Amino acid sequence: MATAEIQLEAPATKQLPTTGSESRAFWMLRARRLNTMTSHALRSMRVQLVSISFASLVMWVGLYILFQQGFQFIHTGLLHAGMRTQFVHAIFNVFFLALSVMLMFSSAIIMYGNLFKSEEVRFLLTTPSRPERIVIHKFHEAVFYSCWGFLLLGSPMLIAYGDTALSPWYYYVLLVPFMLAFVLIPAAIGAIACLLVVRLLPTVRLHALVILAGIVVVAGLFFGWNILAYQNRDLMTMNWFQDVLARLEYSEQRLLPSWWLSTGLLEAAHPAQSRTGRPAWLESFYFLAVLASNALLLQLVLATVANRCFRVSYSELQGVTRSQRNNRVSWIDRSVAFVCRPLPATLRMFVIKDLRLFRRDPMQWSQFAIFTSLLLLYFFNVRRFDYAGTLVQWVTVISFLNVAVVGLILSTFTTRFIFPMISLEGRRFWVLGTAPIKRDLVLWGKFWFACVGAIPPCSLLVLASDISLKIATRLPLVAVIHQVTCWMLCIGLAAMAVGLGARLPNLREPSPSKIAAGFGGTLNLVLSALYIMALVLLTAVPCFFWTETAWLTKINPEGSFIFGGTIGLGTPGAVMVGVSLMLLLAAAATIVPLRIGIRAFRRLEF
Amino acid sequence: MINLKQVTRTYGTKTAVDCLDLHIHRGELFACLGHNGAGKTTTIKMMVGLLQPTAGSVEIAGFDVVTESRQASLRSGYVPDEPYLYDKLSGREFLQFVAEMYGLPPDVASNSIEKQINDFGLAGFVDQLTECYSHGMKQRLVFASALLHDPELLIVDEPMVGLDPRSMRLVKDLLKTRVRKGGTVFMSTHTLAVAEEIADRIGVMSQGRIQFLGTVAELREQLSSDESLEQLFLTLTDEEPANFVS
Repeated sequence: MATAEIQLEAPATKQLPTTGSESRAFWMLRARRLNTMTSHALRSMRVQLVSISFASLVMWVGLYILFQQGFQFIHTGLLHAGMRTQFVHAIFNVFFLALSVMLMFSSAIIMYGNLFKSEEVRFLLTTPSRPERIVIHKFHEAVFYSCWGFLLLGSPMLIAYGDTALSPWYYYVLLVPFMLAFVLIPAAIGAIACLLVVRLLPTVRLHALVILAGIVVVAGLFFGWNILAYQNRDLMTMNWFQDVLARLEYSEQRLLPSWWLSTGLLEAAHPAQSRTGRPAWLESFYFLAVLASNALLLQLVLATVANRCFRVSYSELQGVTRSQRNNRVSWIDRSVAFVCRPLPATLRMFVIKDLRLFRRDPMQWSQFAIFTSLLLLYFFNVRRFDYAGTLVQWVTVISFLNVAVVGLILSTFTTRFIFPMISLEGRRFWVLGTAPIKRDLVLWGKFWFACVGAIPPCSLLVLASDISLKIATRLPLVAVIHQVTCWMLCIGLAAMAVGLGARLPNLREPSPSKIAAGFGGTLNLVLSALYIMALVLLTAVPCFFWTETAWLTKINPEGSFIFGGTIGLGTPGAVMVGVSLMLLLAAAATIVPLRIGIRAFRRLEF
Repeated sequence: MINLKQVTRTYGTKTAVDCLDLHIHRGELFACLGHNGAGKTTTIKMMVGLLQPTAGSVEIAGFDVVTESRQASLRSGYVPDEPYLYDKLSGREFLQFVAEMYGLPPDVASNSIEKQINDFGLAGFVDQLTECYSHGMKQRLVFASALLHDPELLIVDEPMVGLDPRSMRLVKDLLKTRVRKGGTVFMSTHTLAVAEEIADRIGVMSQGRIQFLGTVAELREQLSSDESLEQLFLTLTDEEPANFVS
């Protein structure tokens, strides 16, 4: 380093960057980082990229087929075209409205971490960047992280609908701008709420967001109960459809972005049924313009709020003192210590340590709490499929689908929280690595922590579903199989997250959400989904044919039902084989990733 | 150049900086000393706009850091104790981003980047991703980025932490040269020998207040002692070294 020759510039000549150059700098920053990450992935992670692309494609196609079959079912069940469109409109309204609420909270929570806990923001605040530019920069990052699930779930559904409704080409072209414009609205509302909560209630900040989310979930439970508390047993009849439509009217408020989105999309999907007489594409474009202009307006509002309160909020938040922890062991820790008594003392301490870190960071568990509450809402209402109704034959299928849904929610939990744990441990490895313990214990600690955390709530959720569907009383063996499947799901998903987390760690990234959104996390999510599908199918298919043999015989009196008649799928033996295969698969999904993870972790250099 | 008037900053019920009055002149190298928790880093964070004073005002080159924060930061460069670098950018790309942030025209930015690369000996690694850098390499890059826009004031928090003797020598030369050319340096440090060697004035902080402000010679005079700065510092802050050996 040579001694710098300094020619200090006259102060008067210094110019602040223009808005344009500032904006360009941030876009260049993103482009360069993206370019570096892409080229790095293409250079050194080709096999992983191909495998993950393939798995994602399989998942996307699976979802597409599922949605396509669903829309086809509605198509054949409701012959009146106007009624059908109206019904789909109602479904879209509710779907997008629910999504708006989730995106809003997801964005608010991510923005809190992005703005007030980020080292990048701390650096940017010391430069002459405008605070609104910093907030918009982090907002776009939050939109990306909070909406990828929407794109993964939404795109197969909307494309499947377009195919079923034989929609014109411009329906498909308009999908992307519609989805992007829509996502920005709830995300911006969430970001504005985050800034205002931190500004106005700095001492309660994240807790306030979580409590607000809780209130919304309770309100959702109330509305959901009100809508689905429906005693008509003639499901899928015209009366039933009309009744459901009447109950879903709340989602048809003309001021809701979800209504603009669903109406705009349906206008494009059904050019022959335009409501106004104007060309359908023009009408659709009109709704797109409404969505886009509102999205941009909200971004402007966000920038204005950021300009007024971000710097002062950031400063005030640093001044909030944290409450002192008392030295007593909490009842949660005592309970976990009691449950984990069979484990060695060191392992037990690892589990308790991870539990403490987890529960003291509301960022970690708030989104999971929202998902679980939504799931409870669904389970409380699933009892409407009464055994005396016309859809009794679907009860077993629905009960297994509920197990799969619990598994899918759990997989988001294991990917978001368990997978990044090993990577995060890397920064603290100076204490673990120098302690006189075997490295394997660290992984076993994570594994047991995940199992202890996952099994009780998942098992209870599945039990709630079985009680609602009266499976527990009418088909107790199926209820037992559900519980076994659920436990195997918990154990297998925990092992996969821990094993892959150790095999594909990201020791440089301090943010768990970014670790989860990376390659390893995505791979874990995709493999988890495949595992859940395989595990549930192995037990669901034989159980379905076994429990529904009577019904199958009724609809096919000749008794020549192909599976039951030729390969014995409707027999108890088939159920036994299915359960055995499920247990084998679960054992493989637990042992293989853990072995790979332990081997990698032993070799890992911190 | 730096003007702190009756500055107080609290964290909840704790007062980190208490009615601090401090004026640093243009062309001065000022070393802020104090034990952990004395209020040095809080003072620096207020100067660079990360924290706002609970009471009082902070001015940099005549600009209030709360109401004219962008103008103030345009005139200062900041080297934090734990610097942030974008790990997926190369050193050169990071410097280009910082240059744009400070509004440097493209030709000026290009010349300044080349000059800093040369001055700080970054050429050998400036095109590698910063995630591969050692602590010393990172520190050199951060110094280069802080000086890219040629600020009148350089604020440095613990510049010597983790540096080898050669790098420490280079940093000291850099700071002295900068001051000789008319720049101002505000440095927070625990390395008392460095402060004694290069600072024009020192300020000793304790419990959020300035306990002493002046030259090392004036401190000796005040305490009527010829002992090292370390001993003077301990006497002033009334701290005896902890006895770790029983």
